[in-house]
Amino acid sequence: MTRARAYRHSHTARLVLRSLVPVICPPEAIPLGDAIVEHMALTLRAFPAAIRLGFLAGLAGYDLGALPRYRRRARSLRGDRAERYYAAWEASSARLQVTVARVIKQLMSLSCYEQPEMMERVGYRPGPWIAEATRRRLTLHRDDAERQAQQVLAPDPLRPGVRVKQAPA
Amino acid sequence: MTASPAPAVHEAGPTRNVITRHDHRGDTTIAADVAVIGSGAGGATIAAELAEAGFDVVVLEDGSYYQTRDFTADSSAMTRQLYRDGGSTMAIGDPPVFYQEGRAVGGSTVINGGMSWRTPETVLARWDRELGLAGIARELEPYFERVERRIHVAPMDPEAIGNDNLLLKRGADAKGWKIIGNLRNQAHCTGSNRCAFGCPTGAKQSALVSYIPRALHYGARVYADIHVDRVTRRGRRATGVVGTVHGSGHKLTVHAKLVVAACGAIHTPALLVRSGFRSPSGQLGRNLAMHPNVKVVAIFDEDVTGWKGVHQAFQVREFQDQGLLFAAVNLPPALLAMSFPHRGAALGQLMQHYDRMVLAGMLCEDTTTGRIRTIHGRPQAFYQLAGADAANLQRGVVLLSELLFAAGARRIYLPFHRAAELTGPDAARRLLERPIPPRGWEVVSVHLMGTCRMGTDRSAAVTGRFGEVHDAAGLMIADASLFPTPIGVNPMETVMALATRAAGYVIDNAARFLAA
Repeated sequence: MTRARAYRHSHTARLVLRSLVPVICPPEAIPLGDAIVEHMALTLRAFPAAIRLGFLAGLAGYDLGALPRYRRRARSLRGDRAERYYAAWEASSARLQVTVARVIKQLMSLSCYEQPEMMERVGYRPGPWIAEATRRRLTLHRDDAERQAQQVLAPDPLRPGVRVKQAPA
Repeated sequence: MTASPAPAVHEAGPTRNVITRHDHRGDTTIAADVAVIGSGAGGATIAAELAEAGFDVVVLEDGSYYQTRDFTADSSAMTRQLYRDGGSTMAIGDPPVFYQEGRAVGGSTVINGGMSWRTPETVLARWDRELGLAGIARELEPYFERVERRIHVAPMDPEAIGNDNLLLKRGADAKGWKIIGNLRNQAHCTGSNRCAFGCPTGAKQSALVSYIPRALHYGARVYADIHVDRVTRRGRRATGVVGTVHGSGHKLTVHAKLVVAACGAIHTPALLVRSGFRSPSGQLGRNLAMHPNVKVVAIFDEDVTGWKGVHQAFQVREFQDQGLLFAAVNLPPALLAMSFPHRGAALGQLMQHYDRMVLAGMLCEDTTTGRIRTIHGRPQAFYQLAGADAANLQRGVVLLSELLFAAGARRIYLPFHRAAELTGPDAARRLLERPIPPRGWEVVSVHLMGTCRMGTDRSAAVTGRFGEVHDAAGLMIADASLFPTPIGVNPMETVMALATRAAGYVIDNAARFLAA
């Protein structure tokens, strides 16, 4: 089974998602909107095609669903109108709308807090910590770590004395 | 048989005999004594044991080959690389249950928390009593010991335990509840807390750094990036495997005397079905257990910085006999943010407390089972959370909240829709006044079991007690799909012990298997 061609947002999907950044992400993340939307494409790329298609269908429904009430697509709504429209889906009695709103929110907030600026803002700096943990293990416990690495390869036949074939020369 | 030229192999150090998608130049046909499908807890273990005994072993893995140096701080990239479908796999039900499976050389052991527990005696007694697996507890004992030695099962170094786990212990001690130090397959874990994204320090002794190098050392070949299309067969006898190389679409054909399916409880039954194997028991794909998990988030006044320190240093065992285990886990901010219902400014304000949060999870031993259906050759899990399990989860959330308040939590956020935050233990207890229906829960799973249950009665089980598929020849199973019931603890060590025992069975009957 081979992977499908790498997913990229369509123009429409990008516009709809971009319009939702101020609704879903914290105000301090709004300048990162393009990066957040791009990151969502990376996440969607890893999903199976069926789930990705379901998401995009939901997004299209969200975009068009604004027409009856606002006479505009969701991608064009700004400020309070964008907020009210999303909130209506979030609290809808139709489970499908709730699911679409929730999945959009989940993927966008994931991508939001994957931005280095947002991780820094909440004090999450895993890179230096990994480096420190690695250094500590290799300085304080080097001998034990090496002993375990050797133990992994040491002969210890499950049935001592039984070898079903000769080892290759 | 005319074997086409084997693709080039990596020659440097431990990657010798690992063949990746980049090494294939066309369709390839090879031969081996044993073809093992899957390189996780079951596949890597049986491959290493059989290779050391002198069998010519080939391991086929759907995912790619990464090494410790490839595991970075980029959680999102690691998730895309190491998790099946980028972590989006889901069992259909109401609520749906999102589950996680590793998809890399080393399988789910690369992304699990490393908890290493033997199958509880009560579970083995039930398998003995009700499922015809007489004497299994005594039989497994030496295999548990062997596995524990190989993957270095040990308590945590105390200085590596982080504040989130210490707070969990503080709460359990305050309540007078039983809490134990977790045993994990690690050699001096220094608490990078990156278990779920590939251990970047090499401390976690996943199959990637234990059984896989051992298998390679004793001559096994590992083919990464291979989707196994089917097990080939002649009548009821398995004769090998046909797979497709990811990316290029080249075919890899393996002729083998014994095929071992170790693709996990989701994929093994689907592989058997699409290969044309059936089980007269009617149990193939059934009895899926998932150990439904939920989590709560507690906010403390003090600094927690839960991402510094070992993953799940303790387990609260007070309610184990009621099917509930509690532990503190930690998630990077992105994964935590996606699980909160908050958005906009409210999300930002909540996430400002990230370093004062303790994320605690609970595992529930399920009383119901789901099933795997094979649709166009692909598995789809169906699982309906039982009312009794939802009630148990509800009770568990209350108990866990009480524990966290006893540890000093100020607020607690709950794992169901539109739940108000809790501000004290009384509010937690009031949760019990009204049942939360199953569909209201947000449930995940990392323990997938059942679907090819073992047992001596061929009319009730898919395989025999060693994993040999009933009514087939040359075909074994060595993964958690063998479990006849959920086990209530982390399944990795049980899978490894069963795989080691299966290897012993193959060695003892080598003449029969090699004569095929």
